[in-house]
Amino acid sequence: MPVEPALLLDGVTVEFPRRKTAVLRGVTLRLNPGEHLIVFGASGSGKSTLLQAITGVVPHTVLSTLGGSVSVKGTVTTDASVVELSRHVGVLAQDPSSGVCLPDVEQELALPLENRAVPPEQISERIDRALRAVDAAGLRHRQTDRLSGGESQRVALAASLIAEPAILLLDEPTSMLDPSGLAAVRQAIDAATAAYGPAVVLVEHRLDDYAGRAGIAGLPGRAVVLGDAGQVLADGTTAEVLVSNARQLNAHGCWLPLEAELFAVTGRTGGLEESCVRSALRDLAFANDGGAPKVPSAGGTVMAARNVCVSRGADRKKRGRSRHITPTMAGPEPPILENVNFDLRRGEITALLGANGAGKTSLLLTLAGLLSPAGGSVLGPRPGMVFQNPEHQFVAHTVADEVRQGRTDASEGFFADLLKQHRLTHVAEQSPFRLSGGEKRRLSVAAMLAHNRPSLLADEPTFGLDRRDTIATAAAFRQAAEAGRALLFSSHDLRTVAALADQAIVIAERTVIARGPIFDVLRDRDILRRAGLRMPPLLDWLLAEFDTAAEIRCVLRGLDAAVSAEAPAQRPTRRGA
Amino acid sequence: MTAAPPVWPLTAGGTLARRNPTVKLALLFVVSLVLVFIFDPVTPAALYLVALAAIGSSTRLAVKTMALGHVPFLAFGLGILVVNALSRPGRVLWEAGPLRVTVEGLSVGGSLALRTLVIGVLAIGFIVSTDGVALMGSLHQHARLGSRITYAVLAGYRMLQEMPREWQTIRQAHAVRAPLRPDGSLPGGLSAHGRAAYTLLVVSVRKGERMAQSLEARGLGLTPRTVWRKVPLLRADWLMAGAVILVLGGIAYLSHVLGFLEGYGALR
Repeated sequence: MPVEPALLLDGVTVEFPRRKTAVLRGVTLRLNPGEHLIVFGASGSGKSTLLQAITGVVPHTVLSTLGGSVSVKGTVTTDASVVELSRHVGVLAQDPSSGVCLPDVEQELALPLENRAVPPEQISERIDRALRAVDAAGLRHRQTDRLSGGESQRVALAASLIAEPAILLLDEPTSMLDPSGLAAVRQAIDAATAAYGPAVVLVEHRLDDYAGRAGIAGLPGRAVVLGDAGQVLADGTTAEVLVSNARQLNAHGCWLPLEAELFAVTGRTGGLEESCVRSALRDLAFANDGGAPKVPSAGGTVMAARNVCVSRGADRKKRGRSRHITPTMAGPEPPILENVNFDLRRGEITALLGANGAGKTSLLLTLAGLLSPAGGSVLGPRPGMVFQNPEHQFVAHTVADEVRQGRTDASEGFFADLLKQHRLTHVAEQSPFRLSGGEKRRLSVAAMLAHNRPSLLADEPTFGLDRRDTIATAAAFRQAAEAGRALLFSSHDLRTVAALADQAIVIAERTVIARGPIFDVLRDRDILRRAGLRMPPLLDWLLAEFDTAAEIRCVLRGLDAAVSAEAPAQRPTRRGA
Repeated sequence: MTAAPPVWPLTAGGTLARRNPTVKLALLFVVSLVLVFIFDPVTPAALYLVALAAIGSSTRLAVKTMALGHVPFLAFGLGILVVNALSRPGRVLWEAGPLRVTVEGLSVGGSLALRTLVIGVLAIGFIVSTDGVALMGSLHQHARLGSRITYAVLAGYRMLQEMPREWQTIRQAHAVRAPLRPDGSLPGGLSAHGRAAYTLLVVSVRKGERMAQSLEARGLGLTPRTVWRKVPLLRADWLMAGAVILVLGGIAYLSHVLGFLEGYGALR
């Protein structure tokens, strides 16, 4: 007699009222207890809807029609409420800050057990076990608002497994984490699923990060590909599925493990170890040479930091009083950064690098005049700034009004051009909050560029975006630089940095430890180590292989060129919109 | 496995911090209710002095903190006193132009002001001695508050903790595009705050939605459920309740015997 499947989807079709086509179409899938599955697909292919159909959110919470049947450990989802289904399903969502709901870590972990009527005397022991499984035993007595993103996500993982569900759903669990948080959560997922043994369904587009150095072997063993029409295109072992679908997934903006990406571009397997892959990359460096944009020659200085000292305390002391952009004396709180000196020049893109918590955001806020420097001065005209979460910037009810904000003097044609240039014309009348992640980012950049400030600062502008949107954001920045602006952006993604930036500023040890041309900085092992920066294997190889920045750029742009710029014809579904 | 049942660690702070939150809240309510029927100044004055001494000694609150906590209640009480003294009809005590202070006005106004202070000092005692999370747990256990409401409030409390940071970021994000004032400073103003509040609202509502989904995924709403760490309800809590009611009744009785106590009759 066969074992009862952990999950069984039989001809599942999901339709939403205001969309003409089905989001999922005839999806049939059987998952055995303890089996690990990854779902591939471009944004809009129904990956999130698939997860919602398993938790019962579709059709119970979200207005939708479900055809076929979904059963979780023998329970048909239409027969049970979402809460009732939670007995079998654990969920780890994307956003660390809303995955943890209660003020203390202990309570957060006790809640699932209390809800399932676990005898109180067993609870403490199970909390310990769950926290040990995610390597977070030390967090037990912490308050949840003091946790970092990676810590929150590990606590949320422990809470989703503590009641021993049959299935664990992972919905882009690492996409909003910095590199150190990502590594810790990634490890915790492996350890905890080994300890608790649930069946796993993973949805993720940043597969290169998720897989890590292990490459394809770092992904779940079985893979399913969802097509643009919501149907299952392929189902098999991950290695096979990736080989047969790599080109298409890469074109659709998935971040693939390097080996799969190189296969998609060069048509050869084996990754960087293989000599024919390497020679194909070398060809890329030269074949693409003519098409590569020229490195713009830098113009005059538009912003300069002179002995700037960054402190969050300087502002807090005088909060509620005047917010003048004038230097004040440092408070008793030690400064985050001292002796910061650099120039930003016209037409030049500078990357701001440093570990999490090194003070990148505070430095950008200080340069933008939003935090008073605790010492020194920032010279130059007022800069623009784009924030990490684009939603924080939105003030208007429509996209068209958003770009007009603070610019009553410009002509209608100016705004129409701006929207067209950033591919926002088709959503001009929508609410900014209802856009997709990539559109939100483009809008935040467009709305800032509308002000024609000579310099633009950006805090992690490509964070959480899929690859297509990352490339589009980088293109918008390059365009702004070519138009004569000076750009400074912070990022953890060294590959994007290498493809985009001309210069780099590295902060660590409370000051600037290096500044100079980007590849000079990236070649300096000592600087990278002191700043806690980890070089991706591709970049490592490119730096060893090529001498000039132009050649490295050509390869990176050649790889990016394999990603199609156009979104699929179908509009993507918005999660939680 | 046969260890003592886990209990909430109500140990920090003074004696009052160790008492059951629901009992404290109920007593605050009872005292407030009784005060509604008292309209002479002497009885609430006596109650205030006793309450101040009791709260001061059982919370070991610094004098300065206690004084600061009094400020809103004093301001409110003073307002009531002045309004009543000037507007209530009765025997005129002092007169200057249109201003006229009556004995009855002073007496009733003083009573109401002192009532405010009694409730104020008890509220201070309650707030400083009660952990919000333990209060919700206790209300869930001892006052039959439903688990969905209890945990929704706790999740809201967590969102509230993050709001100041979020507010600051939104204000900064908005300020970048705002036109500067002539002197070069960033604009403040009501409309700027309104726009930031709208953004905060949208961001928070969406976050709330996600948190609600997380809570459902944790099985909130399943029955039956257990409670891990019970907030203890001990004999000492009942003793405190008895003592408070005895003192309250005793003072009211003494005040009546001495001829000070007045009810609604004072208003006529």
